[in-house]
Amino acid sequence: MFYRQSGIHHTRYAATRKLWPLAADRRLLGGLLALALLAPLLLPELYLNSYLAPWLIWTAAALSLTLLMGIAGQLHFGFAAVMAIGAYTSIHLARAGVPFELALVGAGLAAALIGCVFGAAALRVKGLYLVMATLAMQYLVSWVIINVPAISGGAQATLATPEVRLLFIPLDGDTALYYTALGWTLSCTLLLLNIKRSSVGRALVAVRDKDFAAAVIGVDPLRYKLLAFFTSSFLGGVSGAILAFCYYQAVTPEQFGFNVSIQLVAMVLVGGLGSVIGAYLGAGFILLLPIVLTNLLAWVAGLELFPVSFNLIAHIPLMVYGALIIAVILFEPLGLAKIYDNIRKYFLVWPFRHAQR
Amino acid sequence: MKKTWLSGLLGACSALALGASLANVPDKEPVRFALLQDFTAVYTFLTNEYNQGQQDYLRLVNARGGLDGHPVEALVRDTANEPQRGIEAYNRARGEGAVLVDFLSTPVSRAAVNRVLEDEVVMITPLHGRGDASHGETFPFVFPMMATYWSQAAILADYIDTELGGLAGKRIALVHIDSPFGREPVPVLETLAERHGFELRAFAYPSPGTEQSATWSDVRRYRPDQVLIWGAGSGQQVSVREAIRNGIRPEHILSVVWLAEADAEHLGKHMTGVKRYEAVAPGRELPVIQAILDEVVAKGEGSGPEENVGSSYYNIGVATMAVAVEAARLALAEYGAPLTGDTLRRGFEQISNFDAEGLMPPLSFSATDHQGGGFGRVSRWDGGAWVPVTEWRSAYQDIVWDEIEKDAAGFRDGR
Repeated sequence: MFYRQSGIHHTRYAATRKLWPLAADRRLLGGLLALALLAPLLLPELYLNSYLAPWLIWTAAALSLTLLMGIAGQLHFGFAAVMAIGAYTSIHLARAGVPFELALVGAGLAAALIGCVFGAAALRVKGLYLVMATLAMQYLVSWVIINVPAISGGAQATLATPEVRLLFIPLDGDTALYYTALGWTLSCTLLLLNIKRSSVGRALVAVRDKDFAAAVIGVDPLRYKLLAFFTSSFLGGVSGAILAFCYYQAVTPEQFGFNVSIQLVAMVLVGGLGSVIGAYLGAGFILLLPIVLTNLLAWVAGLELFPVSFNLIAHIPLMVYGALIIAVILFEPLGLAKIYDNIRKYFLVWPFRHAQR
Repeated sequence: MKKTWLSGLLGACSALALGASLANVPDKEPVRFALLQDFTAVYTFLTNEYNQGQQDYLRLVNARGGLDGHPVEALVRDTANEPQRGIEAYNRARGEGAVLVDFLSTPVSRAAVNRVLEDEVVMITPLHGRGDASHGETFPFVFPMMATYWSQAAILADYIDTELGGLAGKRIALVHIDSPFGREPVPVLETLAERHGFELRAFAYPSPGTEQSATWSDVRRYRPDQVLIWGAGSGQQVSVREAIRNGIRPEHILSVVWLAEADAEHLGKHMTGVKRYEAVAPGRELPVIQAILDEVVAKGEGSGPEENVGSSYYNIGVATMAVAVEAARLALAEYGAPLTGDTLRRGFEQISNFDAEGLMPPLSFSATDHQGGGFGRVSRWDGGAWVPVTEWRSAYQDIVWDEIEKDAAGFRDGR
C-alpha cells in the first residue's frame, strides 16, 4: 500500500539498477532530504549543533568504516587513528595557508597513505590478527601525536581550527558548519551506495566472503584489499577533518582515542555490517542514545517522585545502554538496518500479507 | 527476587536523599551554575566527592538566603569525559541560562575553550584544563582559579630546595603518566634544573597507569634523591607502591595534587611519610565545613554520603564554589541583577585575598591573573591524616608566567 509495486515494470537495465527503483522509497528519501536541508530553520540551535551535526559527521565516519569492515570484510580497530591523521593534517595544512578544499584532500591522502601502510599487514593476516595489527596502529598514532609537540600543538596539546572558507563561504556559524557536514555525509552515502552496485563492490564482497575463492574467479585479493584500505582511510581522514572543523573546532589527542575506535566499530556492528542505512542508525544509537538517556533520567529525577542520588542517575544510562546493545545483537544480529528492513518488507505487502508466500 | 531488588534500589536511593532545598529563599531569578562532570569514566576517582562538596556548599548558600535573594541552582550532568557529550551538555546548560560551567575534565574543557570565549560564559578549570588560561587577557572567561600544574611543580621544587636539603647537585626523578598532563611540569622543572644546577630526568609510564613496574626499575637504577609522581586516580597508588618496592623511601616521594585519603587507605602503612602538594586544606575543622555539617548535612539535606564531608576532594569542591559564589556576590553588588557571564567574570576579577575562612590560601584575581597567585602548600601523610608541613606559599611565579605567556601567545596566534 505504502510501497506500491504494482504497475512498476522495468523495461531497461538502467531502470532496475537504479539506486531506488521504488517510487515510495524515492518519495521517502526526498522528504527526508528536504527535512535535512530545512533543519537549520526547523530545529532549535541546540538540536542542530549538538545532535544533528555530530550525528551526520559520525555517520560519515561509520560509512567509511563500513566500507572496509562490512563490504570488504577487513576488521579495523584503529579507525579513530585514521581520523586523527586526517584531522591533524587538515589543521596543519589550513594553518600553513593551504585552501580548505585542498587541505581536505590532503587530509584524506595522508590518512589513506598511512592507513595503507598498516593495511599492508592485512595482506598477510586475517581476522583476530588483523585486529591486533590495526590496534597497533591506534596506539602508535596516538603515541606519535602525544609525543611530537609539533603535531599536537605544544604543552597544551590543543590545536584550534583556523578560520577557513569552503567554496568561498566562510565556515562559521552553526548553519554553514551543518551544511558542510551534511554535504560530506551525503557524498559518502552516494559513494557507498554506488560502490555496492558496481564491479568494484562485488569484487570487495567476493574478497570478504572468501579471498582465495575470489582469487579463483579472477579477483586479485591483494589489490582489492589495499584498495579497500585506501578508500576507506581516505574517507575516514576527510571525516576526521570535517569532525575537527565542523564540530570540535579544537583538536586534542583524546578526541581520537582507543575508545572512539571501539565506538566506531560498535556503530558499524549495531547498525548492521555493510549497510548504508545501518551506519546512520548505528551512529545515532551509539552517539546520541547515551545523551538522550542522560537527559531523560535527569528529567525524571527532576520531578522528584522519589529521592535518588546523582551517582545512580549517572550510571543508569550506562546500564540501559549496555542492555540495549546486548538486546540488539541478541534479537537481530544483523543490526538495526535489518530491523528497518524487516519493517519495510512488512509494509511492502501490507495489508495483504498472505500474498507474500 | 525482583521485588527485593527493587526495594533495595529504592532504599539505596532514599538513603542518598537528593533535592535542593530552596524553601527559605525568596523568589528571585536563580543564578545557574552548570556542573557538567565526568561521573562514569576517567575522573570518577574524585568527581563524586568534588561534586558533593560543590552542591553542599551551594545548599549552604541557599539555606542562608541565597545570593542577595537569588537562589543558586546547580545544573548537574554526566559527560563521561567525552567531548561530544560535554558540548551537548554545555549547549543545553547555556540555553537554560547557566553563567558558569565546570567540566572537571581536561579533554572536555579544552574542547569548550573557544565556545565559552565566544558565548561569554565563565568556565572554571580548577586543577584541570589549560594552564595558560591563567592569562586573563587572552582567556577572559576562563579561570583556572587554583595553582596550575606548573605552579604545583614550582612549589614542590621550592620545598625540596628550602626544606629537604637543597636542589643543587641533586638527582630529581619525575615519574609521570605518558599524556600531555603528565608532561606538563617538564618545562618548568627543566628551567629550575638549569637555575639551581640539579639533574632532572623524566620517566613516563603508559596510560592509564595500572602497570608501571618497567618504569620503576629504570627509576631505581637512576638512584634519585627525590621523586615527583605525576599522575591521577589509581595510577598514583601504583606509583607509590612501585616506588617503595624499588627501595625509594616514602619521605622521598612528592606527589602532584591528586593523592588523597582513599589512596592512603589502600596503601596502608607504606604511605606514611609521603608528601603531596595541596591546594585546599582537608578536614572538618574548618569553619566552612563546620557550617555545612551544621546547616546542611545535619538537616539531612547533604547531597551525598556524610563520610565524604571534609575529604581532600570534597573540600576542593567546596573551595571552587566558595570562590564562584564570592565572585557572583561581588558582581551582583557592583553591576546588579541579572548576573551574566560578563558581570560574573568581572566579579571574579575583583576577588582579592579571599580564603573562605581558612579553607584555602588567600586568592586574588585580576584582569591579567586568572590563576590567583599560584598558591598551595606541602602536606605529609602521617598515617591517619594529611598534615601540612609548610605554610601557604607560591614559588617561581616568574618561570610559571613565562610558560603561561608562551602558550597564551601560541593560542592568540591560533596555534
